[in-house]
Amino acid sequence: MSDYPIIDDDRAPPPAPAAGPAGLTQKLAWVVAAASLLGAVFSALSTSDFINHLDRQVHSIHCSFIPGAHAELGESGCRTVMMSPYSSLFRESLWGGMPISLLALAVFSYLTFRAVSFALRGPLTKGESTFLLAAAALPLVMSVIYGFIAATRIHAVCKLCVGVYVTSTIAFVAALIAHLKTAPEETWDPERKQPGTWFGEGVVFVAVLALLYAVASPTSEKTLKGCGTLVRKDDVGGVFIPFGGKGNTQSIAVLDPLCPACRAFDQRLEASGLINRLKLDMVLFPLDSTCNWMVKESLHPGACAVSEAMLCDKDAAPQVLEYAFANQEALRDEASRDEAALRRRLEQKFPKVKGCLGSAAIKNKLNKSLRWAVANALPVLTPQLFVGDKRVCDEDTDLGLEFTLASMLREPSGKGRGKR
Amino acid sequence: MLNTPAKYFGLLVVCLLIPAGLVFMWLKGAGTRLAETQDAASEVAIASASEDAYCTPQLKQILRRVAGACGLLEGGARGCKPADAKNVAALSGDDFNALFKPLSHRAMLIQFDADQGILDQEGMTAVEKAWSDQRGASFFFVVSRASPDGNPEHNQTLSQDRAQAVLTHLETKFQDPEIKKEVGLLWLGEEFAQLSEDFCKWTRSRGTECTEKDINRSALVAWIDCAI
Repeated sequence: MSDYPIIDDDRAPPPAPAAGPAGLTQKLAWVVAAASLLGAVFSALSTSDFINHLDRQVHSIHCSFIPGAHAELGESGCRTVMMSPYSSLFRESLWGGMPISLLALAVFSYLTFRAVSFALRGPLTKGESTFLLAAAALPLVMSVIYGFIAATRIHAVCKLCVGVYVTSTIAFVAALIAHLKTAPEETWDPERKQPGTWFGEGVVFVAVLALLYAVASPTSEKTLKGCGTLVRKDDVGGVFIPFGGKGNTQSIAVLDPLCPACRAFDQRLEASGLINRLKLDMVLFPLDSTCNWMVKESLHPGACAVSEAMLCDKDAAPQVLEYAFANQEALRDEASRDEAALRRRLEQKFPKVKGCLGSAAIKNKLNKSLRWAVANALPVLTPQLFVGDKRVCDEDTDLGLEFTLASMLREPSGKGRGKR
Repeated sequence: MLNTPAKYFGLLVVCLLIPAGLVFMWLKGAGTRLAETQDAASEVAIASASEDAYCTPQLKQILRRVAGACGLLEGGARGCKPADAKNVAALSGDDFNALFKPLSHRAMLIQFDADQGILDQEGMTAVEKAWSDQRGASFFFVVSRASPDGNPEHNQTLSQDRAQAVLTHLETKFQDPEIKKEVGLLWLGEEFAQLSEDFCKWTRSRGTECTEKDINRSALVAWIDCAI
């Protein structure tokens, strides 16, 4: 038997395209190849966007049904999906993890190769069509799973992903029709064991790209060293708010309740599951000039009022924060128009804060929270995370959060090993 | 067609190497950029105490002298005698008062009854309001006075009582150990830097009629937005 799998000594290449159903299966193989190639392009664009962010900067990303269309810098469904914990695997082992789109690229590249090699040889045999159908089912199944996650968990639509879903469906439908049209008598010879070889080739495609990614993804020692340390980690002013976690590693999150990045950070932290390995306290740092003299104008109007409410009733602070995160835009808009109205709304929603909200004592307490940031010379931004007294670099709080946290928790002294 | 091993493997290699090459190229690019990237946090402002526009070097020098002489910079309980204020400030009374004029939007004049050093309800509320407006300021100054009625020694004691009444109320109300490190008391009696009637226009604890005597039966409280 030959070493390479396709050369078919028993079945000479057809001299001309076959007519009838046999010819149709060949054409459908080309359709599978074309759809797979398009899927590979969508996956490649998505992978390229993901890899771009491994330099820890903010980049424009592609988000269009037209492959190669202009990349966008602002918020988009594609960015939301990319920054979600579902966009990659092995996030605790690799900075950012291994993007799902890379695996999709490998699968689509392989599917393209497989469909082209079948099509070039002529009408499909039953064995070939069966394998092609099984291979095309993989991206379709993954598309269904990720489409469901996007709709129910991430609540965002990524146009590149939709491109992948559509091309997966086309490839599968074409493969299915080809399989149905393939003559049953053209059964594959089990002694040739070609499906096993074909499967092995597919594994090679995935393995090569995955290994290449794992080996060549950029590293930085800064991630484990952190970006500064706390000078005063004690809570002299009684401003720390318990934030959750059942672990032993004392950690502090510096948050603004109306900051979208803080909400996303909270979601990532929650989704990572690593919060359970921390004993996390929160320090409020509202980027609202009403109380924060360090910002010239309010980046998040109303954040001072919400922060006061959280400090007024620390037991209910997680509920206040959850409410604020869920209604950030509305609360900011209301505060821009009439901050008193926002305060009334908070009193209505959380009656325990009534009488405390806006009082001299609670303003003083919030001021102490801000002065804790001054005492530690923190950058004027949110969110910030300290594990022990080590500050997680800002660029490690999004895609690299799981890797950074897991590494810091493994090696609290900062002598962690591994990528980055 | 695909009837030779070379062609077959050629197709396989092309289909595998194109994505692999692209991925490698993108990873290398990201690695190069990462190496070149400066610390993003270095471009971000650092949290700090506020420094208002009125904090000229001259003003800060005088504030530092006053604060140092009054013990504020050492972080203990404090109080300055009138003579201290005159000596360390090396200013005339009018010039001393002029130092506080830029604070008009931040300061509150807490008024007292004649020959009394007890805060009334309005006074307490006004002190709390002023205290809660700390923002980025580091020091809370209480500068108390007495009207020229009575003898200077009695008025010195009276103004000291007034300053102390403000501090006591803050400590009672807020029970904050940091207060002693932030509040500076300066009692001037009737001997130095009497306020003119113009100060009646400043925010006062009482909305009543105001004469020069009334405005000097007071404690001026204000957060100082200068990093001294």
